[in-house]
Amino acid sequence: MSSADRISGIFWLLFSVFISIESYRLGLGNVHQPGAGFIFFWTAVAMGVLSIAVFVRAWFGKKTGARESPVFGKENVLKIILVLLSLFLYAFFMEAMGFIPITLLLFIFLLGVIEKRRWVFTIFVSVAVTGISYLLFEIWLKSQLPKGILGFLRF
Amino acid sequence: MYCFFGVLIGTLVGVLPGLGPASAMAILLPATFKVEPVSSFIMLAGIYYGAMYGGSTTSILVNIPGEAASVVTCLDGHQMALKGRAGPALGMAAFSSFIAGTFAVIGLTLVGPPLAGMALKFGPPEYFSMMVVGILLLTYLSSGSMIKALIMAGFGLILSGVGMDTIGGEFRFTYGIRRLLDGIGIVPTVMGLFGISEVLMNLETEIRRDILTNRVKNLLPTLKDWADSIGSVIRGTILGFFLGIIPGGGAVIASFASYAIEKKVAKHPEEFGKGAIQGVAGPEAANNAAAGGAFIPLLTLGIPANPVVAVLLGALIIHGLQPGPMLLSKAPDVFWGTIVSMYIGNGMLLVLNLPLIPLWVQVLKVPYYLLYPLIILFCLVGSYSIENNSGDVVIMLVFGIVGYLMKKFRYEGAPLVLALVLGKMFETTLRQSLILSRGDFSIFVSRPISLAFLIVAVLLLITPIITQRKKLSTLEEQQEPN
Repeated sequence: MSSADRISGIFWLLFSVFISIESYRLGLGNVHQPGAGFIFFWTAVAMGVLSIAVFVRAWFGKKTGARESPVFGKENVLKIILVLLSLFLYAFFMEAMGFIPITLLLFIFLLGVIEKRRWVFTIFVSVAVTGISYLLFEIWLKSQLPKGILGFLRF
Repeated sequence: MYCFFGVLIGTLVGVLPGLGPASAMAILLPATFKVEPVSSFIMLAGIYYGAMYGGSTTSILVNIPGEAASVVTCLDGHQMALKGRAGPALGMAAFSSFIAGTFAVIGLTLVGPPLAGMALKFGPPEYFSMMVVGILLLTYLSSGSMIKALIMAGFGLILSGVGMDTIGGEFRFTYGIRRLLDGIGIVPTVMGLFGISEVLMNLETEIRRDILTNRVKNLLPTLKDWADSIGSVIRGTILGFFLGIIPGGGAVIASFASYAIEKKVAKHPEEFGKGAIQGVAGPEAANNAAAGGAFIPLLTLGIPANPVVAVLLGALIIHGLQPGPMLLSKAPDVFWGTIVSMYIGNGMLLVLNLPLIPLWVQVLKVPYYLLYPLIILFCLVGSYSIENNSGDVVIMLVFGIVGYLMKKFRYEGAPLVLALVLGKMFETTLRQSLILSRGDFSIFVSRPISLAFLIVAVLLLITPIITQRKKLSTLEEQQEPN
C-alpha cells in the first residue's frame, strides 16, 4: 500500500493546512476563552503531523522494493461511475419530479442499462418495486416522500 | 408488538448484507414520530440487538457477513456449514446470542441506576476525558494502522464542527451552503460510509455467493458442542459486555477480540478457521453482550458508545427526552420499559430465529443485481426521510464516495463516525472546562475521575509505540547473526 499511503499522506497534509488556515480565520481565542476555531486548529495541526508520518512510512516502505498492487482496478469502474451519476441525478431531481417517477426511472436505468436485464423483466420489477416502496414508506411508515409532478393527484 | 416488529426487522436487516442497523433505524425513525417515546425506543432498540442475531445467519450459510459484527463468524461458522454442521452452528450462534443478550440486560438493570447516580457528579472535565479515552480506544483497537485511525478521528472531529458554533453562535465551514448550516447529520454519513460504499465495493468485484442448498437440520447443538463452547460463551459475554460499555468499544471490536482470545486459550488452536464451534460461540456471545452493554453509557451518561447507538440517541432527543443521568428520574418508563422489552425481545429472537432460518435462506437467494438497487433505495429514502430534505441525500452520496475511497486507501470509518458523534459534546466540554478553570489545563488532572481517564488515554497512546520498538529491536537482533 505504499503508493496509496503516499497519495493519502499528501492529501491529508493539504487538508490539514487548509483547515488550520480556516480555523485561524474563525478565531482561536485564548485558553481563558477558546474561540470558534480553537479545537479545529489544533486538531488540524495534529492531523498534519500524522499525515507526514503516513507519508514518511510509505516512502521508506517504497525503498524496500516490494511490488505494489494498483489502488483502482480497471474492472467495473465505468459501472460505478454510472451508478453514482444516476444517484446524484436522483438526489437533485427527486423533489422536482417526485418519488414515483424518479424511482421508476432509477430502477429502469439500473436494471435495464447497467445490469442489461431483459426489458419486460426490467419494467415489471421497476413498477413493482416503485409501487410497493411507495405503499411501504408513504402509506404505512408515513414518510413524507416528495410528490413532484404528480402532486396534483393528491393520493 | 413494537418489540416484535423491532426484533423481526432487526433480524432481516442483519441477514441482508449491505443494510446495517443504523440505516434501518434511520428509515424507520420518521414512522416512530407519531407513537409514544417508549414504544418508539423499544422498536428501534429491537432493531439493534435483532441485527446482531441475524448477522450470523449469512456468515454461516453464505460466508458473507450480513452485519459488520458478524465478520468473524464467517471464519468458522461457514467452515462448519461446509462440513454439514450448519444446523449446530446456527443453533449455537442463536443460543450464545440469547445467553449473552440476557446477561447484558441483567447487567444494565443492575449497573444502570447506580451509574446514573454517580454520573450526576461528572462535570465537563470528566466528560471530556472520558470521550478522549473513547476515541483513543477505538483507534487503538482498530484493525489497521493506528496513525490512520487517528487521522480519521481528527477528520470526524472537524466534520462535527460544520454548522453553527453552539457557544459563540458563528457559522463554521459552511461556505454559503444552506444545507450545512445545521451541520452534517450522523445518519446520512453512516449510511454513505457503510451502506453506499459497500454497494460500490461490491459492484467493483462481483459477489460470488455459495448458498448452501442442502436442508439445514439438527439445529440443537449436541452435549459435546455445549461442553466445547460453554467457556467461550461465558468469556465472550463478559468481554463483550465491558467492551460495549466503553465508548468506542462496540460489537464489532468485541467479536474480533473474543475470537483472538478463544484462539489463544483453545486446546487445539489449529482447528480455528476449519470449523471450530468455539469460533462461533465466543464472537456471537461477545457481539450481543456488547450491543446490550452499549445501552449503559447511553441511558446513564447520555454518551453514545457507537454510531448505531448515536441514532438511538437522536431518536430520544427527537421525542423531547435528554439521555443522561436525569433520564431515569424524568422518564422512568423509557428506561425501565426498554429494559423489560429487551428481556422479552431476547426470548422472542430465540423462538423466532431458529424456525425462520429457511425463510432467511430464501431471502439470501435474491440475486445481487436485484438486491443492490433495493439497498440503494432504502438508503435514499432513509436519508431523505430524516428531515425531508434532498440535501441529506447528497451528503449521504458524498460520504458514499468518501467511504469507498477510504476502503481503497485502507482507512477505517468507525473512528470518523465516533468522533463525528461525540465531536459537539467534546468541543463544548473542553471549552466549558477551560472557562471554568480560567484557562488552566490542570483542571483535567486535578480531578481524580478525569485524571484516571487521562492515564488510560496516555497508556493507549504509548503502548503501540513501545510494542513497535520491541518488534523492531527483535527484528534487528534476528538479522544481526547474518
